[in-house]
Amino acid sequence: MIETLLRIFPQGDFSLIAVILGMPLLGAIVNGVFGARIGKPGVRFMALAAIGISFFACVLSFLALDKVVGAGGGEHAELVHGKLAWTAWEWMSATTFGGASIPIQFRFSIDALSGIMMLVVTGVGFLIHLYATSYMEKDPGFARFFAYLNLFVFSMLVLILGDNLPVLFVGWEGVGLCSYLLIGFWFEAEKNAAAGKKAFIANRIGDFGLILAMALLVYYTGSLDWDGIQQHAGELITKTNAQGKLDTVSIWPVGGGSYGLVFGWINLSFLNKTLAITGATAVGLCLLLGCTGKSAQLPLYVWLPDAMAGPTPVSALIHAATMVTAGVYLVCRLSFVFAMSPFVMACVGGIGALTALLAATIALVQNDIKKVLAYSTVSQLGFMFIGVGAGAFTAGFFHVLTHAFFKACLFLGAGSVIHAMHARIHDDDASQDMRNMGGLKKYLPYTYWTFFVSTLAIAGMPLLSGFFSKDEILYRAYINKTVSPQMDRALKSFGVWEQPDWFGPVLYTVGVIAATMTAFYMFRCFLLTFHGDFRGWTIGRPSQISNPHHDDGGHGHHHEDLTTPGRAPHESPWQMTVPLLVLATFAALVGYLNPGLLGHKIHFLGNALDHWLHPVFRDTIEGAGRMVALRAEHLVHGAKVPAEISHEALEHVEHMEPILMLGGISAFAIGVGIAYWMYVKEKGAPAKALAAKFPGVHRFLLNKWYVDELYDEVVLSSVDALADTAAAADRTIVDGILARLTALIASFTGTIFRAFQTGVVHTYSAIMVVGLAALGVFFFRPHAEATVRKLGADYQLTAAPGMGYKYRWDLDGKGFDEKQLLSSTDIQHKVTLEEGKTKTVRLEVENAFGRRGIREFVLTRAESTKTIEVGKNAQ
Amino acid sequence: MMITSDSYVFVAAILFIIGGIGFLARRNVLVQLMSIEIMLNAVNLTLVAFNRSRPENHSGQIFAFFLIAAEAAEVAVGLAIVLSLFRLRRSVRSDEADSLRN
Repeated sequence: MIETLLRIFPQGDFSLIAVILGMPLLGAIVNGVFGARIGKPGVRFMALAAIGISFFACVLSFLALDKVVGAGGGEHAELVHGKLAWTAWEWMSATTFGGASIPIQFRFSIDALSGIMMLVVTGVGFLIHLYATSYMEKDPGFARFFAYLNLFVFSMLVLILGDNLPVLFVGWEGVGLCSYLLIGFWFEAEKNAAAGKKAFIANRIGDFGLILAMALLVYYTGSLDWDGIQQHAGELITKTNAQGKLDTVSIWPVGGGSYGLVFGWINLSFLNKTLAITGATAVGLCLLLGCTGKSAQLPLYVWLPDAMAGPTPVSALIHAATMVTAGVYLVCRLSFVFAMSPFVMACVGGIGALTALLAATIALVQNDIKKVLAYSTVSQLGFMFIGVGAGAFTAGFFHVLTHAFFKACLFLGAGSVIHAMHARIHDDDASQDMRNMGGLKKYLPYTYWTFFVSTLAIAGMPLLSGFFSKDEILYRAYINKTVSPQMDRALKSFGVWEQPDWFGPVLYTVGVIAATMTAFYMFRCFLLTFHGDFRGWTIGRPSQISNPHHDDGGHGHHHEDLTTPGRAPHESPWQMTVPLLVLATFAALVGYLNPGLLGHKIHFLGNALDHWLHPVFRDTIEGAGRMVALRAEHLVHGAKVPAEISHEALEHVEHMEPILMLGGISAFAIGVGIAYWMYVKEKGAPAKALAAKFPGVHRFLLNKWYVDELYDEVVLSSVDALADTAAAADRTIVDGILARLTALIASFTGTIFRAFQTGVVHTYSAIMVVGLAALGVFFFRPHAEATVRKLGADYQLTAAPGMGYKYRWDLDGKGFDEKQLLSSTDIQHKVTLEEGKTKTVRLEVENAFGRRGIREFVLTRAESTKTIEVGKNAQ
Repeated sequence: MMITSDSYVFVAAILFIIGGIGFLARRNVLVQLMSIEIMLNAVNLTLVAFNRSRPENHSGQIFAFFLIAAEAAEVAVGLAIVLSLFRLRRSVRSDEADSLRN
């Protein structure tokens, strides 16, 4: 059957991709344009069918891909790096600096990496769509919501399946747009609209990096598609300029200037030190900027927590499972570029570690259930960055995969909880506050169990998915070390940054601390929500919360007795619980795709994902000159730069894995233990005591390290200052001087001309007659005019034309030859002059009325300067 | 007696001047329109007259036909304007039609 499929859609022209991409787009168009006409059932059917068919096509494509890469050849068969590609159309062509033209095609491809990603996006996407049909049922913007959501899936698929950076960028911007639209979905509230703008602007900063990276890649590698970049990735380091020197990117001095000044005893000559980075580092840093924007890493993570202003299914789909992992996907996609520069790899890992830690500390104290999950997402994304930064691309991507399931499940569970709370409270903030929850286990059994499984998974419970992926990351972070390919090539002319040996262990330690916090805050969230007693019986209605003094009486709504128990929270309908169950199942089991050590020990499990993705990352990890070397080589042999990894070192590393695994297990045990003790044993008393004991720290964390305030003070205020300056300049210079001066001139001229505008036909006709008479006089008089041009030693005289004009020339200044007749064709003449000589030339003109005029030209050629003087009229 | 083109041009010039003075001096829009017609006809006359000295083609005569057509159109538009002016002002005096002043 798959053979038939591959016959219909050959590998190089796999147009089934059009179905995968086209259905969500169709859904977006139909729901967006005809949403109101087809009604809610129609919108629901269209949205679900679009994503469902797309998912089905993805599954078929994946099976075909399985055939193409040769996975059918048994467990240990070597896979090939095959892809299914489809070119939609030729988009444009870019011109390189060398003048070569790079065709940029609208081309899509499915390979091992994008294949898994597209299954996740459409699969999880379908479940979330199903969930949303119930969650958003009462919303007046139902059709608009699904139009956006379908458009998002389309953009995300473009991002994933794009075969080159520009197409990826189209998807990248598309998901950014959809994210913006969906965060601000309830735009009536100012804060939601502001959150959308914040996300958009933060992403824009990242996109700037991505565009720069594209330009640099065109310069260095001369291509923008994955295969081309990979083929020429070596150029990023070895490209030489016209002088035969390495073509590096100069960071300092800016603009090649000289800043080393010496003012008396102030010596600034150290400013003359130059700093240059390789193309690989430059491209990597630019790409990293793009990834930090999209994947919410330091310093651009601030938008993601605010993005929770959107509807919860959006948070689950866009801001947890798919879009925010685009940055990790891009690092994996361009792993061969990142691995070229140890510095960039260290930056990726370092930023990931810092983000994981920072976000985890903030998540410890948040009270809003969605905020906890948001910071948890930022933190988990940090873990993924640690993984890919350590060169463990498979591990990082594995965490993308597992995170997509457990975090989507957690968000949907939170949505289910909010749904239940909202039915009682009717206030967005209060219904998300965990202080109002508790004891929901009794009322929401399905939500409870699925949330529980996913919490265990994210906290790193052994044998669940989060445990396997997180441990793989931590283990690789400890043992891996990126070695610059420059060292191999002994390019001594260029100082090479080397990753210090302590870097891996530090990443590991930070990761374990963050993992401990993860286990703690996730269980805190879980226990506060589902265990204990329900605290939400006596919370006020919105009228009480937002407007306590506005009770003007007379309405039953305001006089509800809020101290008596209301209706009990209820479980959500099947459209919401079924996705939860499916996702929870996957959250528990998806780890067995790549159980790491367990896979090595127990044979039938195997490490399927590692095997599957191996061809994608093989060149990066093993390829000549761009290896991610194992730190163990250094430990065993003390060799600074291992030429290749010995068997001995590999064995050593394998022995370390169980030991390093203890870190992850203890992180889970400690985190969960503390949470259990604090919130179940002691009913939350230690948490309150701790907050009371360290109010500063608590406030600091509750206010998210004041990062938003810091950005307000530093970035926003400087931008505001710039804007104020520009506005002042606009008011005084543009408005004040330019505009008013122009207006003044115009109005003054108008005042003069207005006098002529009598509106009386006679005046106009009289003026016309006078004008005609003047024109007649002008034509009646002869005009002997000529232009003089200097051509080297010659002067070229050209007589001005006129109606019926005849010409006669006196070129030597001796007077006209009276016998010579005037000729109408005798227009041009050349006069040769020696230096320092002067000559008089006369032109006689006769017009159609037989009137004659003479003009005299005095030509002077100066000694050195070349000036000519044109004489006076001698008529 | 041979009638030369000079005579035609002379007659045309007189017609043109009559038309011009009529246009400038009279205040009745209808009379002004007629003056314009006289001037245009003077031009037509010169075109036809000069065409006689160029037997190889008939550009001048054809030009005259085009001018006659243009005159007809001009008169149609002009009379329509005069009509609406009369409706507006109850008068066809051109010095009273000064709504476009300043």
